[in-house]
Amino acid sequence: MADRFILELKEVSKHFPVRSFRRFGQVVHAMDEVSFRLKEGEVLALVGESGSGKTTTASIIARLYPQTSGKFVFEGKEIDPGRSGKRNLAYRKKVQMIFQDPFSSLNPTHTIFQILSRPYVIHGDAAGKKGLRSRVQVLLESVGLEPPAQFIDKFPHELSGGQRQRVNIARTFSVEPLVILADEPTSMLDVSIRMSIMNMMLEYRETRNVSTVYITHDLAGARYMSDRIAVMYAGMIMEIGPTEHVIGQAFHPYTKLLRSAAPAPEKGLKRQKLVTHGDIPSLIDPPSGCRFHPRCPFKMEECSKRIPDWKEVDAGHFARCFL
Amino acid sequence: MRNSESSKQVLLEVRNLQAGYEVKKGFVGAVDDVSFCLHKGEFLGIAGESGCGKSTLAFAIMNLLRDNARIRSGEIDFQGRLVSALSGEGFNKIRWVNLSMVFQSAMNALNPVLKVGEQLCDAIHAHRSISAQKAKERAQQMLQLVDIGPERYDSYPHQLSGGMKQRVMIAMALVLEPQLVIMDEPTTALDVVVQRTIIEKIQELQQQLDFSVIFITHDLSLLVEISDRLAIMYAGKIIEEGPAQDVFSHPLHPYTHGLMNAFPSLSGPIRRMGGIEGKPPDLLDPPKGCRFFPRCSQVMDRCANTYPPEILFEGDHRVACHLYEGKGDMQNG
Amino acid sequence: MMLGDLWKLFLENKKALAGLLILLFFVGVALFAPWIAPYDPRGNKLVDQEVLEESRGRKQTVERTQLDEFTEERIYDQTFTTRTKETTVKFPLKSPPTSKHLLGTTHSGQDIFSQVVWGTRVSLSVGLVTGLFTTLVALTLALSAGYFGGRVDEVISLFTNVFLVIPSLPLMIVIAAYITVRGVVPIILILGLTSWPWPTRLLRSQVLSLKNRDFVRVAASLGEKPGFIIFREILPNMISLVMASFFQSTMAAIIGEATLEFIGLGNVSVVSWGTLLYWAQTNGALLSGAWWWFLPPGICIALIGTSFALMNFAIDEISNPKLRKR
Repeated sequence: MADRFILELKEVSKHFPVRSFRRFGQVVHAMDEVSFRLKEGEVLALVGESGSGKTTTASIIARLYPQTSGKFVFEGKEIDPGRSGKRNLAYRKKVQMIFQDPFSSLNPTHTIFQILSRPYVIHGDAAGKKGLRSRVQVLLESVGLEPPAQFIDKFPHELSGGQRQRVNIARTFSVEPLVILADEPTSMLDVSIRMSIMNMMLEYRETRNVSTVYITHDLAGARYMSDRIAVMYAGMIMEIGPTEHVIGQAFHPYTKLLRSAAPAPEKGLKRQKLVTHGDIPSLIDPPSGCRFHPRCPFKMEECSKRIPDWKEVDAGHFARCFL
Repeated sequence: MRNSESSKQVLLEVRNLQAGYEVKKGFVGAVDDVSFCLHKGEFLGIAGESGCGKSTLAFAIMNLLRDNARIRSGEIDFQGRLVSALSGEGFNKIRWVNLSMVFQSAMNALNPVLKVGEQLCDAIHAHRSISAQKAKERAQQMLQLVDIGPERYDSYPHQLSGGMKQRVMIAMALVLEPQLVIMDEPTTALDVVVQRTIIEKIQELQQQLDFSVIFITHDLSLLVEISDRLAIMYAGKIIEEGPAQDVFSHPLHPYTHGLMNAFPSLSGPIRRMGGIEGKPPDLLDPPKGCRFFPRCSQVMDRCANTYPPEILFEGDHRVACHLYEGKGDMQNG
Repeated sequence: MMLGDLWKLFLENKKALAGLLILLFFVGVALFAPWIAPYDPRGNKLVDQEVLEESRGRKQTVERTQLDEFTEERIYDQTFTTRTKETTVKFPLKSPPTSKHLLGTTHSGQDIFSQVVWGTRVSLSVGLVTGLFTTLVALTLALSAGYFGGRVDEVISLFTNVFLVIPSLPLMIVIAAYITVRGVVPIILILGLTSWPWPTRLLRSQVLSLKNRDFVRVAASLGEKPGFIIFREILPNMISLVMASFFQSTMAAIIGEATLEFIGLGNVSVVSWGTLLYWAQTNGALLSGAWWWFLPPGICIALIGTSFALMNFAIDEISNPKLRKR
C-alpha cells in the first residue's frame, strides 16, 4: 500500500441555513473544521452518533452539495465546489457512495437490469444491448446473486434487504471507483447478513485497492472493517488514529464514552456504570470551545473557551483535547 | 439484574402458542408452537431477526392482536390464571395494571399535540378512577423516576430528545406498577450512548420496583449482557433457550452459533467472521422439517423431513436440533 | 409501480372497474351519438316528405321562330309538376317521457333524449381535454419547480400560491363575462387557466419528496444528467399521483363547464349538458315540475363525476398499501 493520499480534507465546514422564520439567519453547523487524509487502499471509519456530521462529510466528499469553507483535494488536485460539467462526470465515476437504506437506493420502477446497466450507459461503456446484458450478469455473479437470471428482471421490492444491498454494491463497484463512501451500509440489514456484506467490501478492498470511508455508529463494526478510525462528535473530529490504538487506548473522553457504551458480551457481567449526563448538543447553537465540554467528566476552564488543538498522543494517533 | 435461583415462582407461562395473520392465501404462522416460562423478577431476552415472530409473540401475550392477526391455539398463563381465554374486556382489567408493553419506536407513539404529562395521566385514568390531582402527582413521580425533571410535565413530545421520549414511554408502562413489562426493541432507534443509559435505567428500575422484563431485540450482543435468560427465535419457533451466559459461551444450535459469530467484537483478536447465507422460509407454507435446514452448516438427512425434538441440558438450557438427539433429556417436542 | 402492474391492479379493483365502465359507457354514447339519438337535438318537428307522383304532368309550350328559309328556332318551355305529400309531426311541447320521446321534450318541442346523447360529446370532450391540459401544465410546472428549486421554484410557487388564493369560480365568471367569443374553446381555456394551481402544488410536493430519495441522489452521483433524472427516475414514480390528478382535474372540468354554461356564459346554442340545464332553468322547468328536462343532464353529470371519483379512490388504494383491503 503506497503512502499516497488519494483524498484530503482541510478544515472543511458545512453550514446549512435554518429554514425557519423564528431562527432567521442562523445556521446548522453540520460540519466544522473537519480535516483528515485518506490513503490509497485504506479503510477509514468515521464513527459517531446522530448529529456527529459523518453523513454530511460523506455527502461533501460525494459532492452532493458544496462545502461552506475549507479545501478538499482529490488525487492531488483541489476540487472547486462550484464546478460542474465534464470534469464532474469523471469525478463521479471515481468517488461513489453506498447508502444506508438498500431499498430507497433503488428506483422501485426499474428492473435490476435497468438499474445495473445504467452506469455503463451513462459513462459510455455500453457494448450494445446484448453485451450490456451479459455484463450485468457477470456483475450479479460477482456479488453472489446467483443464478443471475433469477434476479436480473426482478424489481427491487421482490428482493430481500441483503440482496438489495448487494445490488447497490454491485452498482457502485461497476463503475470502478477509487473511493467508496459507505454510509452505514449494514445497519438496516438483518444481523446474519451483515457480516457477508462487510466481508464483500473488504474483499473489494483487497482485490481492487479501493479506498473506503466507512461510516457507522457501531464501534465494533468499525473495528472489524477499518485500518484507521476518526471519531466525530457534533460536527467535529475528536480523535483520529489507527483503529487498534483509538479503541484500545482511547484518549478523548468521548471516545472512552463510546467504548464503554458499546455492547461487549465477552466482558461478562461485571460492568462499570456509564458516567455521563446530557445529550448531543444542538448544532444550531453548539457549545463554545470544545463541543463535548458540557458532558465531559474531565472538563476544565479552558474547554469552554476555545476549541482544542490537535495533540499527537501516539504515532499517527491524534486527539483534540486539552488533557 | 441477576436473580438467584431462589425466586423460582413462575409469573408467565406460554404453552404451545400458535398465532399469526389471516391472508387471502391462507394463514401466516408467525408464532408456531412456542412455549416458555418466565419467573418472577427475571429478565428474559428474546432474540431473533426480522420476521421471526418476536413482535407477534409480544402482541399475543398482551392480547393486542388486531385485524387479521389472531391466536390460533395454545395457552398463556399469567400469575396462575389462564389469560389467553379472556375476552377483550376481561383482559382490559389486567392490561397495563399487571402487564404492560413498551413498543418499537415508542417515541413515535406519543401524541404530538398533547403534553407529555397529560398523556401519562391518560394512561392512569384509563385504568384507575382517581382524582385528576392525584393522577398528576403520580405522573410527575413517574417522570422523576426515569430521570426527567418534573418541569417537563408540560412539554410536548417534539421538545424532548429521542432518549427522553423513550423514557417517557417506559414511565408510562410502569405507571401502574405492573409485574411484567414487555419491551419490543426499545432502544433500536437510539444512539449507542443513549441506549446504554436507557438500559441502565431499566435495570435500576427493575431492582427498585421488582418487575420482570421480556426484552425483544435483534441485537444479540446487547441481550447477552443484560439478560438472565435468552431465547432465540427463528421462523416462528424458539430454537434455543437458556441462561444468557451459557447460550453465549456454549451455543448449541447452529443458528445461535452463526449469530454469535456474526457480531464483531470490541476486544480480542480481529479475525474474519462469517454471516449466515440465505434467508428465512416463507411462513405461509413452512417446511416440514427443521426450518433452518437450508442454511445450516451441519445439516443431516433427517433435518429436511422431521422437526427436531427439544433436548434439555443441565442448567435449564434447551435446544431443538437433531444434532443432540440421544444426548441430554428429550422433551415433548 | 410499473404501468403493467398498475393496470392489472386497477382492473382488479372493484371501484376502478365500476368507474371505468361508467366512463366507457359515456364514451360509447358520445362516439355513437348519430346512431343512438333518434332525432336532431335542435329540431322540434319531424318533417317527412313523400313524393307521390313524379312528373305528374308535363306542360309544354313551344315558341317557334322562323329565322330564314332554312333556320327554325324553337324555344321550349317545359314545366314538370310533382305531387308530394309532406307530413309534419310537431313534437309536443314540454311533454313528459313517452314512447316516442324517451326523456320528453323541451319547451319548444326538442327531444331531450337526443340532446342528452349529443351533449355527451361536448361535455366529455371538454372535460377530458381540459383535464389533460391542466394536468400537463401542472406536471411541467411541478417538475421544474420541484427539481430545480431555487429561483425557479420561488417564482413558480409564488405564481401558484397567488392563483390558488383567487377563488376560481368568480374568476371564471368574470373572465367569461368579458370575452366576446362564446363557445367551447374559450371555456376550455378559462377552466384550464383557473384550475392548474391545485394539482401543481400537489405534484410539486411529490417531486420534492422524490428528489430527496436516495435513488435520485445515487443517479446524480453516478453522473446522470438532470433531464434523465426527471424523466427516468422521478416521473415513473409519480404515475399514480399524476393519474389521480388527471381524474380530479377532469371531474372538476366537467362540473366547471356545466356550471359556466348553466349561468349562460357558454355558447347557449351548443348542445351540452350544461346548456341543457341552462335552457331548463330559463324556461322554468324546475318551477313547472318538468323533471325530465333537468334531471337527466344532472344525473349524467353526477354519474360521470362519480366514475372519476371512483377511479380516483381506486388509484389512492392501489398506491397506498395501507388502504388496500387484504
